[in-house]
Amino acid sequence: MRVHPPTARLLTASATLLVAVSAAVNLMTETPSLAALSAAGVFAVVIGWVIVVRLPDSPVGPALAWCSGSVGLVDSFDATAAGALGEAGAAFVARFGEGIWPVNLLGLLALLLVFPDGRQRGRLWTAAPVVFATGAVLVFLGLGTGDEPAGAPLALVLAGLPLVGLGLILAVASVFVRYRRSSELQRLQLRWLLLAGSVVAVLLVGGWVAEVGGAPLWAAYSPFIFGIVVLVPLAIGIAIVRHDLFDIDRILSDGAAWVLTLVASAAVFAAAVFGVGQILHRYTAIGSTAAAFLTALVLLPIHRFVRDRLARVIDRDRFVAVKAVEEFAAQVRAGRRQPEEVEAVLRDAQGDPGLSLLLADGDRWVDLDGEYADDQEGVTLAGGSDPLARVVLTHVSARARRRAAALAHAAWVPIEVSRLRLSLRRSNERLVHASAAERRRLERDLHDGAQQRILATGMRLRSLQRGLVGEQAAEVEAAVTELEETVRELRRLAHGVRPSRLDDGLAPALEHVRAATPLPVHLAVDDLPALDDTRALTAYLVVTEAVTNVLKHARASRIDVTVRARGERLAVQVRDDGVGGAPGEGSLTALRDRVTSVGGTLTVTSPLGRGTDIEAVL
Amino acid sequence: MRVVVAEDSALFREGLVRLLTEAGCDVVAAVADGDALLAAATTLNPDLVIADIRMPPDMESDGARAAAAIRARRPEIPVLLLSQHIELRHCLDLIGTPGFGYLLKDRVLRLDEFVDAISRVAAGGSALDPEIVQALVRSRSASVLAGLTEREQEILGVVAEGHSNAAIAKRFGLSERTVEAHMRSVFTKLGLRDDGSIHRRVTAVVAYLESRARR
Repeated sequence: MRVHPPTARLLTASATLLVAVSAAVNLMTETPSLAALSAAGVFAVVIGWVIVVRLPDSPVGPALAWCSGSVGLVDSFDATAAGALGEAGAAFVARFGEGIWPVNLLGLLALLLVFPDGRQRGRLWTAAPVVFATGAVLVFLGLGTGDEPAGAPLALVLAGLPLVGLGLILAVASVFVRYRRSSELQRLQLRWLLLAGSVVAVLLVGGWVAEVGGAPLWAAYSPFIFGIVVLVPLAIGIAIVRHDLFDIDRILSDGAAWVLTLVASAAVFAAAVFGVGQILHRYTAIGSTAAAFLTALVLLPIHRFVRDRLARVIDRDRFVAVKAVEEFAAQVRAGRRQPEEVEAVLRDAQGDPGLSLLLADGDRWVDLDGEYADDQEGVTLAGGSDPLARVVLTHVSARARRRAAALAHAAWVPIEVSRLRLSLRRSNERLVHASAAERRRLERDLHDGAQQRILATGMRLRSLQRGLVGEQAAEVEAAVTELEETVRELRRLAHGVRPSRLDDGLAPALEHVRAATPLPVHLAVDDLPALDDTRALTAYLVVTEAVTNVLKHARASRIDVTVRARGERLAVQVRDDGVGGAPGEGSLTALRDRVTSVGGTLTVTSPLGRGTDIEAVL
Repeated sequence: MRVVVAEDSALFREGLVRLLTEAGCDVVAAVADGDALLAAATTLNPDLVIADIRMPPDMESDGARAAAAIRARRPEIPVLLLSQHIELRHCLDLIGTPGFGYLLKDRVLRLDEFVDAISRVAAGGSALDPEIVQALVRSRSASVLAGLTEREQEILGVVAEGHSNAAIAKRFGLSERTVEAHMRSVFTKLGLRDDGSIHRRVTAVVAYLESRARR
């Protein structure tokens, strides 16, 4: 149910007027305590106005204002009856005013029916106002028409009162039904009302206890009154306007946990005092001391127990989510899951499929694949003063942020391990890239530096040789031959540093390997996408190293080398038909290090007598 | 013979110019990068261009690109490329075309062979480094060449380098008739047509090897 904003404003304004009138009337009749109460009613009106301003079409604002307004209306009636406006009107008003008191509950009834969003769930609840109104009219007629409460008027009253009560009960029940059928947001809002209602109930019980204990009435019940006129409107205001401001689930669950703990420990104390008294047949300081000691001992365990149980019931979502993340962290510690799965786990627990986890890398953020990410808003997890990680949410609210912070905290270890593993891998990659670049530079230096100078020297010698004959010419010839050898040597060296064949691509470079291998090599190379230097070099070295191993150990008769593109990845396979049983360490370790350092995997299958199959996926 | 030399290493360039001059060539320009080479070749119209494959600015294949550009604008100018090691990818298109050579740089120290190679290229023939021929031969599957005798394989390689029958006969200590017989056998086995002209033979053999190399 939505109301027209002008109607909402009119309703709220009329409630405001009624509260003002009742305060004024009470002041005139010199009943300051009632005036103060009326003034306290202003609080509900103010919050009603706040809601009307923030959400102009919500029925909650006017309903809240009318909680005070209806009391003000009845109050003015009563004051008038008491003679505030002179004797003439007083008798008339007093006569009808007798039966007007159900009107006091009008605002509350409306509030119970429309909170939090004005939507009715279930047809039965539309009956509540009808039942209530019928009852109120019967009571009004019964009390207001007869001079004596007897006969027909009494029957009216007796019929009307249960209806008034039933209307109220239906309204309260509607709140519970609504809670069960509501979305998460409405439940959150309803929990605020639940919180305020519980506090009022606790204060009421406190009032009874205080009254029994001999406190003056006003002192015993003023916290309760304060709860009704201030806390309830405040809770409703927060629920409607800023339901997200505080974690209502935690407040409710923790608050209830403390109340229950207090009650339980008081019971323990009383039982202990009583028990010791029974044993010693008198009440002594020892008994009280023992009781205090016992209570102090059980206080914390009781609180923990109660808090956990309540959290499971009241703050269930958060409890379950945090538990799921903690369970994952335990599995990571046990080695059953990979810490990098943490992002998926957080997405599930948070209920936000678009959630992303960024890891701190120096001053920047990287995702779990090591790609740099923009500096986005999110919940930052810090270890000491340095940020460790950031959870970026797609559904952002204060509640979601609190939830994400709690979950990230529970996932601290997997997150930190992922971050460290990632940074290790990245620094390895950097090293490999740097060393590939270094090899390339070295090779180029050899070609462009040393080789050129040797050739230039050789050419000078050749020029020199022209003018010489006999032994000297032969000497120069020998020197030039020596230089030619040196150049060839350098070329081989440079080739070992980084095969310049790779300049022509991986396939031609592998052709050379095939040609230089004394065994038949069957080479199958797919059409490959453009390879970066590091991957091409790694693939090349995997093949050369594996082929060298086959020649050394395998006693094979043929080798199959296949290079395939698998999506983004490159699969290099070297298979032989030799003796198998390749040891896991030695040159295979070096090969595995090389492959893993560029983020690849190396699989070796080598059953005895059935050849060896080495596959690297880069 | 009017020659344009392109080489970025000053030491090597000066040495080469001196050798060529002493060998009776007229070095009309000695430049250090691809653009200067293209300009010099198109304006001076030399009888031969000798260029390093790796030159500034990119230090990758500027020489080869300049050679391709020269071939496109002035197909009649012969080009001899030099490099420190074999880099086939930049000049696959030129290999086997008339008036093209590609040698490793250290071949310049074998003066007689080098002079022989440049005169062959300048005359519209071919001069390919043995290593390049080997690279081409290696890169084809062994079974196809398996039908050739060892001698035939040797001769095939030398033909691809661009040598004449007479030179081949001299190198292997055979008579020219024997070489001819081997050649016919090779061509029959590979299924190539042979009309006896040296240049076409080179082209046919290189094209054959190259077509395998590209697979």
